[in-house]
Amino acid sequence: MFRYIVRRLLYMIPVFLGISIISFFVMYAAGDPLNIIRLGRPNITQETIDALKVYYGLDKPIPIQYLTWLTNLLQFNFGKSLYGGRPVNFLIGSWVWETVKLQLISILLAFAISIPIGINSAKKQYSKQDIAVTSISLFGVSMPTFWLGLILIIIFSFQLGWLPSAGAYGAPYLWWDNPVLDEIAHLILPVTVLVYVMLAQNIRLIRANMLEILRSDYILAARASGLSERKVVYKYALRNAIGPVITYLGISLGAIIAGAPMTEYVFNWPGLGRRYVDAAMRLDFPLVMGINMVITVMTLIATLIIDICYVYIDPRIRLR
Amino acid sequence: MASNKTGQKKKEKSKRRGASQWAVAWRRFKRNKAGIFGLIIVMAVFFVGIFGSFFAPYPARPDPHAYDPFYDIDPITGIGDVRKPPSWMDPEEPNSWKYLFGTTPIGTDVFSDIIHGTKYTVYVGVLVTVITMALSIAVGAIAGFYGRWVDNILMRISEVFLVFPSLLLILVFVRIFTVSVGEPFLNIPIINIQIPTGLTIVIVILGLFNWASNARMIRGEFLRVRELEFIEAERALGAGNIRIIFRHILPNLMSSIIVVSSLTIAYAILLEAAVSFLGFGDANTITWGQILQENFSEMRIVWWAEVFPGIAILLTVFGFNLLGDGLSDAMNPRLRD
Repeated sequence: MFRYIVRRLLYMIPVFLGISIISFFVMYAAGDPLNIIRLGRPNITQETIDALKVYYGLDKPIPIQYLTWLTNLLQFNFGKSLYGGRPVNFLIGSWVWETVKLQLISILLAFAISIPIGINSAKKQYSKQDIAVTSISLFGVSMPTFWLGLILIIIFSFQLGWLPSAGAYGAPYLWWDNPVLDEIAHLILPVTVLVYVMLAQNIRLIRANMLEILRSDYILAARASGLSERKVVYKYALRNAIGPVITYLGISLGAIIAGAPMTEYVFNWPGLGRRYVDAAMRLDFPLVMGINMVITVMTLIATLIIDICYVYIDPRIRLR
Repeated sequence: MASNKTGQKKKEKSKRRGASQWAVAWRRFKRNKAGIFGLIIVMAVFFVGIFGSFFAPYPARPDPHAYDPFYDIDPITGIGDVRKPPSWMDPEEPNSWKYLFGTTPIGTDVFSDIIHGTKYTVYVGVLVTVITMALSIAVGAIAGFYGRWVDNILMRISEVFLVFPSLLLILVFVRIFTVSVGEPFLNIPIINIQIPTGLTIVIVILGLFNWASNARMIRGEFLRVRELEFIEAERALGAGNIRIIFRHILPNLMSSIIVVSSLTIAYAILLEAAVSFLGFGDANTITWGQILQENFSEMRIVWWAEVFPGIAILLTVFGFNLLGDGLSDAMNPRLRD
């Protein structure tokens, strides 16, 4: 097991480096970084520009600059925001938790809901329930994430006034009179959006896999040996059907986390995604690059956890 | 995998309808109600996209008449609330079609905005897919056909694009390249078409960031077909690599490529809507995402300006997804569950 984890970690290094190179060159895609400084200060002298060039290390060749940036990054030194000048890691630290909270709850909830629904759908293929579930999930794949959020806000916040429309906390006297319940009230709508989007894909996958596995010989053998239906489905079939779903989750984690800006923007969620949209809008490069890298590392860690889970479910993987 | 030669022979012998791969697929597709429904939606979207400006109640945005619903309100004083709910819900306008989906805070008609936005949606969907598919076919073909270290390097690169939440990079790049767009529209002189510059930049960037998963799919197909016997036979006859790729492997993958293209169009439309909604789109072209963005801050009142463009996006994407699923069932029946 230990060796497997080490191998997975080593495997991640090139991916990490690749993304860091892309992130770094985002800044150069915008042209000379000194132009940004010149833009705000039209009267700046050439001497000051030269001094700034040395100060920011822009006089060195680009590969050296990249290496400096990378080593700083590994020491959790992300530089300073161009707006306000506060250190980026200080800014990011307070936002990461909100994003992680939102994403983690949604992913777990999506799994808890999609497994029984997918299994039931596969067991009764082409029944009314199955057709309803598959068409609703196809609808879910076609729906813009943010638009579902807008509709929920319009219905549940503006028309009915039941739930808060924005933010992660606040006004506890309005929502259920308790700080913890207040936080839950703020979570309900964004989590619903994220879960619905993930459910659609998960159910389609679980259903397709279960259909194939329920027809296989060893399930017939398990039934023939007199095991209860429950044990056949949940112990023997599910274990094989869940593998591809987890693989898919690993591949699509990037996309799921990329959806964060949209959901967080709609609900004005004080997380990384919301701040990323602001930072990208203002072209605040240190902040953009910092958030990019934090989200990358989060995605890589999540992928690693998923890989480890996968080994527990399907021990054959480790041998390969 | 019925090769064309056997198909032609059959035709000559029996003089019956040539049962080409495509005819068989079309016959199977016709029986799929969901697929036909998707095709109808897609055709409707293309129709509105091409001819929409002829029957839209109000002209497109730069034209001052686009704000006519605004002047309709009070011709004498010119003041009043420009935000009108859909006319069929408005007690002041019984049974009126004046502003079917309501009006926006700046006094334009949402229904007209949606119709004028359709052509941009079609433009985005098609062009992003063309760029994505060209890239992914190139990468998939090279990786799948040549294998070994070329494959290894290309697949590692595609992994970077897959693992990374690409929307984040798309946002920054779009912002960088659209922040200094000069002319809002480029005129193409001979065919006399205006191309929106900012939107085209967005499209190119979307295309450049979305090839990875399609490329991996095409690579897998290449790996499978490469090992088939007829390729070996072709090689024995002395065909070169280029000929094998273009004349023998790619035609075999045509059905998969068509299916994936249809699904990619759906995804591209969603992605562009997201980019525009987040405020990174081209403000000169009123796409559906742009309408959502413009009215987002006044959503509490003008909910109709958020609901109806969203339904347009949903229906269009749903149509392309149904079409893609239907085509996939019709062309690769062995993949059906």
